[in-house]
Formats: sequence, C-alpha cells, structure tokens
Amino acid sequence: MANHADSGHPKQSDSLDRRSMMRLMGSASGIGLAANMNQITALGESRLNDQLRASGKRVILLWLAGGASQLETWDPKPGRPTGGPFAQIQTTVPGIGISELMPKMSTHLEDTAIIRSLNTKIADHGTAYELMDTGRVKEAGVDFPHLGAILARELGNIESKVPDYVSMYTSTEGRRKGSAGFLGGRYNPMFLTDAMMPENIQRLESITDTDHRERAELRDTLSKLFARHHSHPSFEGHNSAYGRVRGLMASDYLFDIEREPESIRAQYGPTQFGQQCLVARRLVEAGVPFVKVARAWWDSHGQNFETHQELCADLDHCMSTLLDDLKERGLLENTLVISLGEFGRTPSINGSLGRDHFASAWSCTLSGCGIQGGSVYGKTDENGNTVVEGEMSAGDLYSTIFAALGIDHTKEYMLGSRPIPIADFDSTPCYSILT
Amino acid sequence: MNFSALEVSKEWHLQEILFCLAINPNNDQLWFGSSDSKIYQQSLSNEDSERISYGESGHSSYVTGMVIAGDTLISCGYDKKLIWWDTNSHEPIRNIAAHDKWIRRICVTPDGRLFSVGDDMQCRVWDLKSGDLIASFSDHAATTPHHFPSMLYALALSDDGSSLATGDRVGHVAIWDSHSFEKRAEIKTPDLYTWDPKQRRHSIGGIRCLSFSPDGTKMAVGGMGKVGNIDHLDGASRIEIFEIGTGERLQMIEDAKHKGLVEQLRWSPDGKFIVSAGGDHKGFIAFHETETGKQVHVVEHSGHIHGLHVNFQTETMFTAAHQRLAKWSFGQPKETAETTPTS
Repeated sequence: MANHADSGHPKQSDSLDRRSMMRLMGSASGIGLAANMNQITALGESRLNDQLRASGKRVILLWLAGGASQLETWDPKPGRPTGGPFAQIQTTVPGIGISELMPKMSTHLEDTAIIRSLNTKIADHGTAYELMDTGRVKEAGVDFPHLGAILARELGNIESKVPDYVSMYTSTEGRRKGSAGFLGGRYNPMFLTDAMMPENIQRLESITDTDHRERAELRDTLSKLFARHHSHPSFEGHNSAYGRVRGLMASDYLFDIEREPESIRAQYGPTQFGQQCLVARRLVEAGVPFVKVARAWWDSHGQNFETHQELCADLDHCMSTLLDDLKERGLLENTLVISLGEFGRTPSINGSLGRDHFASAWSCTLSGCGIQGGSVYGKTDENGNTVVEGEMSAGDLYSTIFAALGIDHTKEYMLGSRPIPIADFDSTPCYSILT
Repeated sequence: MNFSALEVSKEWHLQEILFCLAINPNNDQLWFGSSDSKIYQQSLSNEDSERISYGESGHSSYVTGMVIAGDTLISCGYDKKLIWWDTNSHEPIRNIAAHDKWIRRICVTPDGRLFSVGDDMQCRVWDLKSGDLIASFSDHAATTPHHFPSMLYALALSDDGSSLATGDRVGHVAIWDSHSFEKRAEIKTPDLYTWDPKQRRHSIGGIRCLSFSPDGTKMAVGGMGKVGNIDHLDGASRIEIFEIGTGERLQMIEDAKHKGLVEQLRWSPDGKFIVSAGGDHKGFIAFHETETGKQVHVVEHSGHIHGLHVNFQTETMFTAAHQRLAKWSFGQPKETAETTPTS
C-alpha cells in the first residue's frame, strides 16, 4: 500500500501565517523533511547530472483556467464551419499561422513551440485540472504532487531563502490550490488569492527587527550547543528551516512592483494579469524556481468570441511582454514559460455562440528554456475535431517539460517501497521541440 | 395585429448560424447572411425553390448585416468589409475595407447614405452610389473601464432619417444629427454590461440593439441584464426605453423567464408596442406595451434569433437564427415546415 510521506503532519493553511509556517517548517519540514527526504528518494544514476543541468532553471506557468479555445489562439481553422469568425495571421516563423487575436505573439514565436495535439480525454473542470496539474490520472491512495511541487523540489535549493513555489490565483471561479502531495508540506505553494502581496509574512509590529534577529541568534546558539551532544541529521534541517523563514520574511519586496521602473510597469500594462506576470518575472529573477500565474476564467459556453477578444488581448500582451522582458534580462534561456489550461474548447459552436469543454484535440505552448523555438508539434484535422498527428497525453507533456529543464523524466520517487516516476508510466518527451 | 396568434408558418433548417436578413417586398426576395461567409437569396413566392448563393469572391468571415437599396444589396461582416452586390447578377460591385475591426451593423438613409459601425468604435458614413467615405465619428471609448477592447454593437436610424444612434459594450448610447454628425444627446444603460471582478474577471453583455420610436422622441435599448454566471447568457433579457430629450428612463423591461440578449427591437407604427427578439441557447420573440412595459405576448423559438424583419402591413415576420430561418404569421394557417439544407 502506498504511503503518504506527510501523513500525520499538520496541514498548511491557505494563507502563509508566519508562526504556523515556523511550526510547520520546524516539524514537517525540519524534522519531518529529513524523514521525507529519506523516505522519498530519487532513483536513477543520472540524478547528480540532472541536478547540475537543472541548476538555475526556472518555470513560469501561465494557467488559462477554465479552458481557452485552441481555435481562437494556437490552432485556428479559418473558413471551416468550426473556425469561428477570426482570421488566421501569419507569424514571423514561415509556415506557422495563429489566430488574429494573438498579434503580438505572432512576432514572438522564435522562442516558442506550439503543441496542437493534446488529447487528454477528460473534459470536466475538476478532474481535468487534477490531470493537467499532476500529469496523470488521479489514483486512490496516492496523493500525487502537482507540477509546481515537483519542480520546486527538482529545481529548488533546500537552503534557498526565497519561496520555491508561488501560485497566484485571484479569481475565485475554478480556484484550486496546488498540492505537494506525497512530497510533503515543504513544497506546498505560497498561494496568493486576494492581494498581490503575501499576507502574514511581515514581522509582527510588536517585535523589533533587532529583537527578531537576536531571538534567531539565541535559538541558533542553543541549537548548536544541543547538536554538539546530540548528533542527528534532522537537526540540520530544523536549523535551515528557521533560517529559511527569515529569508521568506525578507522576500516580500519581490511582490512589490512599485519597485520596478514606471517604464517596465507600463510595458506589462494595467491589468491584474499583467501585474502578476511582472511579479512572476521578479520572482524568477530572484531565484524562485516555479511561479504559476492563473488567468481566469476562459469557460466561454456563451459568447465565446467576445470572451476571447477580451482574454486573448490580455494573454497576448502579457505573454509577449513577459517573453521580451525575460529575454532582455538574459533569463529566458533558463526560464521555461508554459501556457496551459485544463482543456480546450469544442470546435462546434453552440446556440449562444459559445464553445463547450473539449479535451480531445487542443493546444498549449512552451517557450524559452530547452525549447526549439519556432516549431509546431502535432496536427488536428481540418475542423479541429481529432488529432491526426503526434497525439500527446498529459504524461507526455510532463515528460517534455522535464526534459526541457534537464530533468530525467524517468526519475522515480520511492514512496515507501513503491517507485513513482515523476512523469506518468509510458510517457515520452517530444524531442522534436527540444533543443 | 393579433400578437397571441403568432406562429411559425415556414421554417428552413440549415447548418450555419444566420446573423441578418433583408427583404425586398417588390420582388418577393429575401436575403440572409451566414456564418459560412456567404449571402443567400431565397424566393418567398416559391419557398421551396433552391436558394442562390452569393459569395465566392465576397466576405471571408461572418456576414453580420445587410440592407437593400433598389437592386443593390450592401452587406457587412466581421472581415471588416462592406460589399455592394448586384442582386440581378449576384456578383459584387464594390468591396471596401471599411473598418479596422469587426463591422456589426449597417443602415441606409432615404437620401442615399450608408452608415456602418464597427469595433474600431467608429461610425462611418458612405455615399451609397460611389462608396466614398463621407465622414467618420465616435463617442465611444476603445477600451472598457477594465482595460479590455470595447465593442460598438448597435446602430439605428430614426424613421425620418434625421437622427442616428450608436450603442457600445459598456452601455453608452450617443444620439447624432445624421447630417451634421453632431452629438445631440446621450443615454447611459450600465446595467446592460456585466463586469465580473472576482469570480471570472472578464465581462459580458453590451447594448445589442437600438430603435427610435416612430416620432423620433424615444429610444429603446436592448441587451441583457446583470448576469451572475457570465460563462453563459444567463441574465434576463432586458429592454430600456428613454425619452431622448431629457434622458429620462421611461421603462425598464426585464424577463427572467426568457434569458439572454435582446438582439433586435422594432416599434409598431403607432408606437404603442415594441417587438423584441433574441435569446440564449434558444430564442424568443416578445411583444410589450411601450407605455406600461407590460408583456403582451412571448413566443419561444428553437434557435437564438440574431436577425428580424417585421412587416406590420402584411402582418408577417422573418427571423434569422442559429441554424434556422423562419417565416412567422399572425393567425395564418400553418404550412407544413420542410427542411432544405444549404449544402
């Protein structure tokens, strides 16, 4: 029977309370973490190589919650009964056309691969979200970690003083908090739901910074004295967890876009999604390995075309600005930007001029780190109803993401005595879109 | 007109979505614009005849509006084009890239001028004969208060041709002198626009149709009331009637039983009634008293209605809807509906 590595540990609350985080990290991630790390171990000879290759790699996931239409973004079908009213525009990459709703991205495909052949089969929000956020179908008795948690573990530094999994989801519809699953609470996200700034990580006003620092030094001194006579690997983790708390408290400035020049803020624009993309850039620049920015809510059962005129304008502007900014700072080479939702939308157009849920032939994009830009993988039929070339599952997409980041997709976590591959069984990377 | 006797007397089932229609009563022909980018001509005297297709060198996206001027048909579409057609040869006469974004509606004045509105938020005036641009004007912001592209859906001309009205996504109506293009008045209908700041963070709605009262003193505005779940057309259909001179709202008519957008409005010639049509997944046609707002009658339809033609003299109506074209009559014997797919 599968084991839950974090079973019995306190659950982390939605907001990141400083005291509860210290408790959590002191127990679950300090003493508990050592146990976790012993219990969940990565197998495979290439582990060290992976770590070296993955060093400095970052990921920004643009989560298109509710399901964006592939026909109005990356896989247009102009002139077909299913195509809708929008035209296809030629991109700067010869032979690749995308929807006219993405004019700025049409000039930014040199670093982007479009995948047009996802067939993930599940078309209800909740189950499809689980599938696309874990890369595999839910299984009773195993609490699979979400992508952010896996990448926080694989790309993060255990001693890091910045968060290693930040998730921004300010709309309420479809909001689901990512979970570290069996990787344990150490890899749960810092989850921002209401404000741009994390709540409750500031030092209490009743304690001066000097007091706080001196308390930490006293605790550190006592810990070292204790450790002289009581040797155990968990003590080191305990101390590092406390050190990490102070680092997290000091990282609030990363969420403050007022610190950015006005010209940069203007480039990202006035929408919340734009501001969150700017925060994401600040976070990865500071070393945060995984940032998820959710843009909701694309569930356009009615008025699909009007909805996509609004949301695609936001996505097109913010995604192209983010890619530009990362590239200009030299970060794109080591940062993978993913645009993905839980599914796409039906080729057929319903009576409300809407499109419904559809998981049989839809699209996503990968940009930057490890990606062969200017490429398209997979093909759908002339009406977009089925995949006719290069069918890709959620597991295949995960394998591709891991491979782009230099992580061996065959790596396994040991959950008790059961090996769990980080990408689903039988999944394979799509090497043709990798560098 | 016996509203309660309204029924479909003939229905054509099609594969496409039909957005607009026009009728030339002199030669008994009907035209409708389709999601397949084409225009179709249907004989009304021989309803089972094969319809004529216009379009191999015409529009490249949904055809959203059309007017008849003598033997000329002018159409507009989401491809940003205005196209003049010879209804005898069925060939295009003139093709103009008229707007920078989707064209939503067109109308024509008795003195030979064509007006068009598009999502570039411009109202443009064209010489009907030459196709020359006469003027371009706007009172509508390009973006919504929430920084997204706005849309200019609605256009209406007063019966005497002296006044024009334009209406946008966020609920702003501008009333214009149709000759000087000076703004005469404005009306606000903010409840026709729903912005969801929390659950879904985008918007739905907008002013979808406008109609002057026969005497030109009142304006009816159609759309959808506030929506809880903006994933769907889940708001009550809504009509607001205003006194143009004062801006006072005279009536607010909401029908929660018939949800969705009011896409079309027509006043009766005596100004006592207003006909509305639209829908959500399905369609409706409703009749209301303009003085009281009281609903006189409502009929449901199997497809969301986008286009409407009402002839109060002959007591007939035609609707262009989602995969449906229908002829309606008031108390006439119902013919057996037959289907004639376009392809």
